[in-house]
Amino acid sequence: MLRHRSKLMGQINGMLMFLPYLVVLVMFAIVPIVMAFRVSLGPSRLYPEGGFGNYLFVFEDFRFLSAVGNVSLFLLIYLPAMLIVVAVLSLLLDTVQMKYTLPLRLAYLVPAGISGSVAILVWYFMLEPTYSPFAGIFAEIGLTEGVQIFNTTNLVYIFAIMAFFTGAGNWIVIQYGSLQSIPQDILEAARMDGANVFQQAFLIKLPLIRKYLVYMLILVFASGLQIFVEPYLISSSVYPGLAKDWSLNQLSYTLAFTGSNLGAAMALSMVMLLVSVIVALVIIYRTDFFDEARGKMKEKTIG
Amino acid sequence: MNRKLIGAAVVMSGVLLLSACAGGGTTSSETGEGVDEVASGPRTLLLYVDPVREPAALAYKASVEGEIDVTVEVLGQEEILAKVALANQTGQGWPDVTFNPSNNVGVFQDPLNGYALNLDEYVDSAIIEGYNGSGDWCLIDGSYYCLKNDLAQTVLWYDTVIFDELGLTVPTTMEEFAATAMKLKGTGYVAGAIGDQGYYAGYLWPSGCPISQVLDQETVRINPDAVECTRVIELVQPLVDAGVLDSRGSFDAGFLEDVARQQKVAMNIGPSWWGQFVIRPEDSWAIPAGRIAAAEMPLWSGETTNWSGEWGGGVWVGNSHAPNPQDVADAIVFLATDPDMRADKVTFPGYKPAFEAWSATIATDPYYVGDVTAAMVAQVPKIRQDERPARFDSRGQLGVLSTEIQGSGDIDAATRKFMEGLAELAAGAGYTVVK
Repeated sequence: MLRHRSKLMGQINGMLMFLPYLVVLVMFAIVPIVMAFRVSLGPSRLYPEGGFGNYLFVFEDFRFLSAVGNVSLFLLIYLPAMLIVVAVLSLLLDTVQMKYTLPLRLAYLVPAGISGSVAILVWYFMLEPTYSPFAGIFAEIGLTEGVQIFNTTNLVYIFAIMAFFTGAGNWIVIQYGSLQSIPQDILEAARMDGANVFQQAFLIKLPLIRKYLVYMLILVFASGLQIFVEPYLISSSVYPGLAKDWSLNQLSYTLAFTGSNLGAAMALSMVMLLVSVIVALVIIYRTDFFDEARGKMKEKTIG
Repeated sequence: MNRKLIGAAVVMSGVLLLSACAGGGTTSSETGEGVDEVASGPRTLLLYVDPVREPAALAYKASVEGEIDVTVEVLGQEEILAKVALANQTGQGWPDVTFNPSNNVGVFQDPLNGYALNLDEYVDSAIIEGYNGSGDWCLIDGSYYCLKNDLAQTVLWYDTVIFDELGLTVPTTMEEFAATAMKLKGTGYVAGAIGDQGYYAGYLWPSGCPISQVLDQETVRINPDAVECTRVIELVQPLVDAGVLDSRGSFDAGFLEDVARQQKVAMNIGPSWWGQFVIRPEDSWAIPAGRIAAAEMPLWSGETTNWSGEWGGGVWVGNSHAPNPQDVADAIVFLATDPDMRADKVTFPGYKPAFEAWSATIATDPYYVGDVTAAMVAQVPKIRQDERPARFDSRGQLGVLSTEIQGSGDIDAATRKFMEGLAELAAGAGYTVVK
């Protein structure tokens, strides 16, 4: 009886703690999604009766497939780079414990401070041969013109670099935090069993923070799929038209605001949401993401 | 399993929040600016202008101080369509007067958009007549929906010092233009840059290439195979291959550094604002005084008129939802035509009295060799009128054109990709595309 009551209290407390988040979730995620879905089925010029015509419009749009290709290639570069570099650097940061660790953690956060429009400008000046501090190096390998670097072939790499440098630092510090949650007795046992630094890092620590890396992967995928700022700004200010409608989110923006077709824009947004959700579900169910970790390691919430 | 589901829901909600943030960012930034005041309340006007037009907007604000409460918002030209689309969606918050790239009037006149105010009732016909037909870009379905801020008719700019040095004469036909350009080969001089809007405004448009020839509200003619297009490609490609037409843009950092600021541009087809805004300023091409002259456009063979195209030539559009349309129209008239206000601007006013005040200073400016306004005036009635405002964003595709030219230097492929994109957009906007 007592046990049952305490379980009930636990559930009520849990609900209460979840409630503020639920309010935000409903207001800024559920409601906009429902609204977007309704608009996506609304009337548009070519499909005055509404319905799923707007979805067809998007799939048939001449920019859709190239945007899918661009974003896919971007994700193929960006996701593994994030996962590997973040895991390795946070393990290094955790392994090399010395008096510089604290300032080092700060250093990882600095590039993350340069984001959005500022990052575009910084990278433009770094990569444009006329202005770049590395102009000498560029000239050595035959790059003397802006268009040799800023062209449609290179865009995906440029955006991946921008996104990587603005995002990786944050995640390194977060994953360093998750490494701190590994109980000392496990590491001590490993050391007593003769595990060297590398074995500790890759056989003990890495498996124990795997879930946090999976969590990171889901969020990084969702944000990468929605890449917008980098191509939009490059295309609207620095090299007009260079990355026009390069990404799916840009295409959605164009459809809504210069194509007078909000229905199609919302349809595309819904498709992107669906992809994000499916990928997240696959990752969750394909891994032991939510299996009980009790006894193996101390639960710790991150993010 | 249950726990797994709850966990999944929590992570999913994170994904949803991310999506909502990405999608909702722009929506929440748009708030009404009190444009829906009732007519009997205080008279207010909200102006959206680009940075170049801000002084004009502030001059208007000062001119009605005490009568009308004017708010001036400065934003990029490319943002106007989006801002109006948002206001249309929310049913409030329209700006009363906007400065636009010229094609926007086609989008705004579209009944599905409905933003553009029909000016017929509110603008004195004397104003329209003062444009001598050069403002007819704004004439759609028999009514005026905008006033031209300026004319951006192309002329042939040339450097007299280089022409004297090489013993060149000013070309009067496009064949002569090409031959003259070819004489620059190996000298280090060029006949301008082509990886920007200049190719569209200075070559395709004057030739009569059907790029966005809106025939009526249902039909648009777009045909890259028309002889008016292919002759441009055939003329331009050899010049690009020979390096006498630079495939970069006129504002490209490398082009500025290696060519323009080294005084290596012998001639180039450019709009009427080119002299004051691009060639002359210290932070731009910085060409010294006593070198630059302007001539009329060269003639394409088979044509009887040496047509101009337009690079820019923005328009003022009013808000059809405004409670005080007369105030809106009066503001537009002031901004587009006021002679005192226009006199010191870089752009060529279409309205005759404003133009006369403007040209008084330019015509006698010792910076130029001779009177550069003569060629501009001669081209005014020769702005080719085949290109018309369309309800799709044709201007947005111009960036695609320049990107292709800069990337490959393949003029034919670039022109085709550009026009195929336009045809897709036109069909998406409900036009029937004809060849």
